[in-house]
Amino acid sequence: MNHRPVPTPLLLTRRAMLQRAGAGFGALALNALLGREATALTPPRLPARAKRVIFLFMHGGPSTLDLFDPKPLLRRDNGKPLPITGPRIVSAAPGNLLGSPWEFQQHGASGASVSTLLPNIASIADDLCFIRSMRCSNSRHGGALLELHTGSDTFTRPSMGSWINYGLGSENDNLPGFITINPSGSHGGAGAWSSAFLPARFSGTRIGGGAGGLHVPFIHSPLANPSDQRRELDLLAAFNQDHLAQRGPDPELESRIASYELAFRMQREVPGVQDISGEPDSIKKLYGADVDPTRSFAEQCLMARRFSEAGVRFVQVTHRYWDSHGDLRRDHARLAAEMDKPVAGLISDLKQRGLLEDTLVLWGGEFGRTPTAQGKDGRDHNPHGFTMFMAGGGTRAGTQFGATDDFGYFAQENPVHYHDLHATILHLLGMDHEKLTYRYAGRDFRLTDVHGEVVKGILA
Amino acid sequence: MLLTSFLHAGESNESGAASLWSLQPVKAAALPAAAPPDWPLQPMDYFILAKIREAGHTPAPPADRRTLVRRAYLDLHGLPPTEEQTGAFLHDERLDAWPRLIDALLDSPRYGERWGRHWLDVARYADSNGMDENISHPEAWRYRDYVVDAFNRDKPFDQFITEQLAGDLLPAASPEQRQSQLTALGFLSVGPKMLACDDPDKMRRDIADEQIDTTGRAFLGMTLGCARCHDHKFDPISAKDYYGLAGIFMSTRTLTKYNVVAEMHEHLVSNPSLVARHQQIASLQQDKNRKETPEEEKACLETLIASLGRELPPLVKVLGVTESPTEDAPVHLRGNYLTLGEMVPRRLPLVLAGPQQAPMPKTSSGRLELARWIGSPDNPLTARVIANRIWRWHFGRGLVPTPDNFGQLGVPPTHPELLDHFATRLVQSHWSLKALHREIMGSATWQQSAAASPGVKQADPENQLYARWQPRRMEAEVLRDSILMASGRLDPSMGGSLLEVAAKQYVDIGMLPEYEKKPRRTLYLPVFRSSGYDGLNAFDFPDPAVIEGDRRSSTVSPQALYLMNSPLVHQSSSALAGLLLSATPDLSTSDRVAWLIRHLFAREATPAERLRGEAFLDSAPPDGKAAAWAAMARVLFASNEFLYIE
Repeated sequence: MNHRPVPTPLLLTRRAMLQRAGAGFGALALNALLGREATALTPPRLPARAKRVIFLFMHGGPSTLDLFDPKPLLRRDNGKPLPITGPRIVSAAPGNLLGSPWEFQQHGASGASVSTLLPNIASIADDLCFIRSMRCSNSRHGGALLELHTGSDTFTRPSMGSWINYGLGSENDNLPGFITINPSGSHGGAGAWSSAFLPARFSGTRIGGGAGGLHVPFIHSPLANPSDQRRELDLLAAFNQDHLAQRGPDPELESRIASYELAFRMQREVPGVQDISGEPDSIKKLYGADVDPTRSFAEQCLMARRFSEAGVRFVQVTHRYWDSHGDLRRDHARLAAEMDKPVAGLISDLKQRGLLEDTLVLWGGEFGRTPTAQGKDGRDHNPHGFTMFMAGGGTRAGTQFGATDDFGYFAQENPVHYHDLHATILHLLGMDHEKLTYRYAGRDFRLTDVHGEVVKGILA
Repeated sequence: MLLTSFLHAGESNESGAASLWSLQPVKAAALPAAAPPDWPLQPMDYFILAKIREAGHTPAPPADRRTLVRRAYLDLHGLPPTEEQTGAFLHDERLDAWPRLIDALLDSPRYGERWGRHWLDVARYADSNGMDENISHPEAWRYRDYVVDAFNRDKPFDQFITEQLAGDLLPAASPEQRQSQLTALGFLSVGPKMLACDDPDKMRRDIADEQIDTTGRAFLGMTLGCARCHDHKFDPISAKDYYGLAGIFMSTRTLTKYNVVAEMHEHLVSNPSLVARHQQIASLQQDKNRKETPEEEKACLETLIASLGRELPPLVKVLGVTESPTEDAPVHLRGNYLTLGEMVPRRLPLVLAGPQQAPMPKTSSGRLELARWIGSPDNPLTARVIANRIWRWHFGRGLVPTPDNFGQLGVPPTHPELLDHFATRLVQSHWSLKALHREIMGSATWQQSAAASPGVKQADPENQLYARWQPRRMEAEVLRDSILMASGRLDPSMGGSLLEVAAKQYVDIGMLPEYEKKPRRTLYLPVFRSSGYDGLNAFDFPDPAVIEGDRRSSTVSPQALYLMNSPLVHQSSSALAGLLLSATPDLSTSDRVAWLIRHLFAREATPAERLRGEAFLDSAPPDGKAAAWAAMARVLFASNEFLYIE
């Protein structure tokens, strides 16, 4: 329980909760425990199009010039110096222009351009909503990654998954509200899923990506026989009830007693939700979970769908490592082959289940890559213009929004900064990014700080 | 620029200054009259009692001695008393048994380990940078050990402030003192920084900003960082005030290398003869490596180097800032360093330090002047802020419930006269924190029972009146240390580093489970930013990238999972079962249950508990008795009686 000033009178304060504690043990203690007490807005103030988010994060910065953003002039002038003024700050002196080694075609009724590296994503292009004019503020992995996840490349701030859980609360009391599967420990690490100054229960739960396998910390009992644990918990309940009886009603002690029952339920439910072994072969095939090199990422995407379906608000899956300063041809071909089918499979699967309606899928890296070469076969980081795409959750399918310049360096038409992206995601979830605030250190903080505009052009 | 030319700065907030309670001079209030007069034991009790009476209530009765001794150990040491320690106090019939116990607890080095950790929350202490490049902080642990030592020595708090902000600018009577003062500078250096940035200008400003923000909130409870982009919206701090301070920190060097990956400044603190010896070896090494050196000479050099290097201690470098050529900072319009406004001379905030300020020295940054002003008895904020922190760490909530924010958006004190009483007392006692502990621990307020007088809980659910003791869950470190101690596994050695990664190398979060296995006090486990121990995080160990003077105490199911399933709890419960069985070869099951309860709760078992324990043990298979005792130990570790400090 915290004693901080609460951000809005809509909250059920601790005081109110304690005063009502006479209402009896059970529901009230459980509510407090589940974090319903400090959810910011109940109910959301705008009509929500999406109820949950799946973020497919491409760590390292994929070259969207080679995936989604064909540039005929770049190819024509291959090997020549960049004819436009480059950015004020660069990591390394830019080389000459490097035309994409891959061919592009337009796909579907929407005519979305997708390169030959991504045939499966190309086949569902009409379900996607492309933003071809993304930009951010930082040219380094850590800075850009944190800016994408938290809105700040300067300070420690809550991640968007935490904000969303703070804003919307839980859909399933037996599961964490924010799960990140196999995240990167570097370039921000837990900063990308931390709740920072928001209450700890809104922090992301990491599955994999650190020590141990792909599981929630301490979710498995080391006991050989699960019924032994039930006996332990019964004994514990007896000691705790005696203790409580001597002290009289106390919501905190009661919450803690309830927390063991909730943990016991989580322990039963989480591994089941996570277990993809029971999925039919046709589904495994759809994601590419049956073969290499798609298997590993496909399994994680499948797990993401199962969590999402079970009510986890924000699920993130990370695919890495797209940082092709050299060996672009080899590495981007390999990475695309690992990622393409699982992503297309996930979106198709959500669609066939009717889940895409209210599930927002976001695909993107922390930045794109330069149209100029690094060495003979590489590209440097480019935060100034790149592509991300969304699907479902109230976005307009088949949209091609914004554009970069003729060489693909800068977002030129309708630039969309991460702050705008965040404002738009919150909007789709039914929240006004200027009203979702939390008071900390003397200020009402927002995911979008003092920035952000909803990108109306991509809304359905 | 003349000082007078910016006197109009901050005008818009002058009304704020006039009304903001925390900026008024500290007033030593007379003690309120108290009735019944026999309740107060310390001056502070008069203030507490007056409010309780005013609300029409009475204080709770005193807690029994058994409860008090456990509470005192957990509060001051973060460890429960052993059976012997409990027994020694219970059998001490001298009239001054209680003050003697408090003195002994304050004299023990366990005190600095517990209370130094509180300060480390405020100092956002970590052994790794976090942020974009999670590399190890070289030798940051020396700052941690400095803090523990400062608490143990009861270093005057004004001196503690000055050393942390300007230890490099203070005279030193001995090499040891110099080393200690330089180590204190870790406070400014251990903040989180973006180390891979292609723009050194942005880095320098962001680092200065983090230092201003931390210094302001840690010592003054003021969110000075808010004025980076505009005049503070709520507190009387103008953007010019901010850039007056920014000049001080911009005239301070935190990094030695700004290009990717940046490196932090370190002070070499070894004594000069050792440094000379190392230099000599390095130069001989160079000679030896030269191509033209004849082979026989090389062999000779080799022997010489080996003999010089034998048992030679390594050089010690500590993380800390240093001076940089002085510069004033211009106002950054909307915080943007690409759109600069008027230059502001380095200076202190006007509303706090007044318009009549001596100009900052031309040849040094002004950190020393800043530190001395913060630590001055006339500063209305400093003594109040630290006195409130001490109260917060004893009672779980500050007299000012927002310990890091004494501004308009903070919460005003529930007991303003009491806060000023402590602030006055602190300055009068030469900034001795132990003097405050003695008054608090000696008070009737602190010694109350958790069982409130009738009507109090309903009327005052948050215990703002302090008319009872509010039980609190153990913090993450206290829980882990207590489990280790109760199972006989705690290694009590002090200080040093467990970090197994070279200076400035990327930390490996995969190592955390290995570190956690070490049975040292939790304080000594390496603290990594952007990561952390799953078990400690579940129990609200704060994010070490942000200052946290008011740790949360949440109740969430991952805590239950940790107590049910974690390796630490399972290993410790097995160890405790082993202790029990070897200590009680001839006891009955019922007496063993009683032993366990006495060992963990320092009280006798009830008949019902004996029966319950017996039934649990009897239902275990004959070859599973040890496992059943371990299970019972686990149950008791997870119980509310163990987890809550009453």
